[in-house]
Amino acid sequence: MASPVDSKAPKDFDVAPKSRMVHLKTKEETRQGNETIKVWTVELPSQDSVDLQHLRRFAKPKYLPQHVIGQRDLVKEMYAIPRAWESTPLAVMQAPATTVWEYSTPAKLRSSNRPPTLHLLICPVHVIALADLHSLLLDRVPFCSSADSWAYPLQIKQVTVPLLAPTSPEQADAWSSDYWPTFYRKTNPFGAHPATIAKAEDDLQRPATGNLGVEKAMTLAKKAGIETQCRDYGIGPGCVIMERADNVTEIIAVAGDARQKPLLGGSGIPGGQGGCNGNIMGHAVMRAVGMIGRKRLRVATPLISGRAAKAERNFENCGLDHDEKARDAFFLDLPITPLEEQYFVKDNIKPDGYLCLRLEVFLTHEPCMMCSMALVHSRVGRVIFANRIPQTGGLTAEMIRNDSGPVGLGYGLCWRKELNWQFMCWEYIEPKNKDTGNVDQDNKAEAGGGELKLMLNDNNANVSSFASTHV
Amino acid sequence: MANSVFGPIPNREVHEGFMRKAIEMAELALASDETPVGCVFVHKGEIIGRGINGTNASLNGTRHAEFVALAEIMAKHPQSILKDTDLYVTVEPCIMCASALRQYGIRAVYFGCLNDRFGGCGGVMQIHSDKSVDPPYPVYGGLFREEAIMLLRRFYVQENEKAPEPKPKKNRELKTEILPVNVATPAASKPSTPMPQG
Repeated sequence: MASPVDSKAPKDFDVAPKSRMVHLKTKEETRQGNETIKVWTVELPSQDSVDLQHLRRFAKPKYLPQHVIGQRDLVKEMYAIPRAWESTPLAVMQAPATTVWEYSTPAKLRSSNRPPTLHLLICPVHVIALADLHSLLLDRVPFCSSADSWAYPLQIKQVTVPLLAPTSPEQADAWSSDYWPTFYRKTNPFGAHPATIAKAEDDLQRPATGNLGVEKAMTLAKKAGIETQCRDYGIGPGCVIMERADNVTEIIAVAGDARQKPLLGGSGIPGGQGGCNGNIMGHAVMRAVGMIGRKRLRVATPLISGRAAKAERNFENCGLDHDEKARDAFFLDLPITPLEEQYFVKDNIKPDGYLCLRLEVFLTHEPCMMCSMALVHSRVGRVIFANRIPQTGGLTAEMIRNDSGPVGLGYGLCWRKELNWQFMCWEYIEPKNKDTGNVDQDNKAEAGGGELKLMLNDNNANVSSFASTHV
Repeated sequence: MANSVFGPIPNREVHEGFMRKAIEMAELALASDETPVGCVFVHKGEIIGRGINGTNASLNGTRHAEFVALAEIMAKHPQSILKDTDLYVTVEPCIMCASALRQYGIRAVYFGCLNDRFGGCGGVMQIHSDKSVDPPYPVYGGLFREEAIMLLRRFYVQENEKAPEPKPKKNRELKTEILPVNVATPAASKPSTPMPQG
């Protein structure tokens, strides 16, 4: 411990004599840091082990559910009574805040903060057979008799505990009272960090002045879908992609569905005879992602555009046809409505960025598996869609909901650990009272940012007429 | 699960002939520093479309070899031709392409090696056969599997200059050992090669 009366002290007092109070450490506090104990540890492959870090290893009886504690056991209680009086003499101490002196025992004081027994979570039942565990423990203190103690009754219980960590404090509380004391670590091991989600929701629902919020972006996506639909190019879905650079938002691509736009091959409306799938490349997401590639080429520095041009020449090196018009008609990654054009022509993207890295995507409909995976390949950051498509959508992780029945295929492509990219995803619920002209102040404030809900928490499925169509 | 796509292939020699064409495309791509994945679409014994990755040329992460080939086909044929068309591709189609092929109504898909990073026909997911509104298509894997894997390995030992921050890969050496498909442990049945992003 550094002494306050060292050589430095007088100097300091010369400069600035300030009084200071340093709280004395208690005996227990000083003990804490310098006492150690040797324990056995073992390294094992995490994939073969059951990770129960979210559970307390030692649990006090008062935090355990009644079914775990079980019946009152007098033998145990006898054993567990503090026997400090056997060896420790009585002490006389002054009770705090009084002048009365009274008798007390250290043992009695200790019993207030340390329970007589603790419950130890040993290991999953499949690791060791009950009989083996029993005989193992019977050989050890306190379960074996010895010269100076008698055996504590060994009773091994099988208890059900949650296998995976909780994702909210409420869940941890519920599990603690139903199963075993459970930790919530203010993090979500199965998805984006709650703070990251909260930040994103704040960005989108309460946009800074001049920035685009979720409500306007969704309106624009809807408009994009209607514009192509009016021209008989598509069936209505729309997509808006936004860049957020230095906290400023820019709409960098707007695309409507155009799966029915005729191709150059003279086949009329694609897929006209054999079903209504049309040209799959005309899905709004594919088009918008393609437009961003186009825009990136346009604003690229010579280094990047040189590389792209070299890659383009590879097609010739490989003897591939180079029919630009046919290619454009198939991929539809150029604007086909004035609205799309308006945003496509702006050179408002940060140069030399990577694909759609961390861009924000607004969709009128849950994208199909192709489009969902296209978003993964493109490394997008946030996706918000308005209508779930239970039969073809690729983002929803749930399959069935009690109140509304089937809600999705369960692919949940936005956050799959086995894929090399994950992004946050929300289902967008339209603001209430949308059609009411006169909304009073309160309602307006409530509906102001639209309702943005994390998909998994939502219980309000919005099943549209696209139910069996890939969007 | 993944092994089910490596079943016996009837008329294997015929299909090997077309897969050879796909491998040739991949070889050409590798010679041009492009991800060595190649594909051909075959209609009634005739190649109607060929493709290599187009992601570097388009700065578009979705421009996979299958799509490049489809663009060529759609320039000359009605979309319905795909119902009688088979795809031969050196690496299993990704989840995105697997879904697109199903929506376009492809007849069958033949591939070389699995894509254990994001394969959609057995590698990671089973998009070709899962419950869907579109009819499923059969998948046959393992045609020149070793060659397809070696193409990718050769590509990855080269310095990847397109990475945002090129990392030294001096210690990378070309591994030539390829584990057979039918090993008991699931981990070992996957090719240990990193798969291309495109």
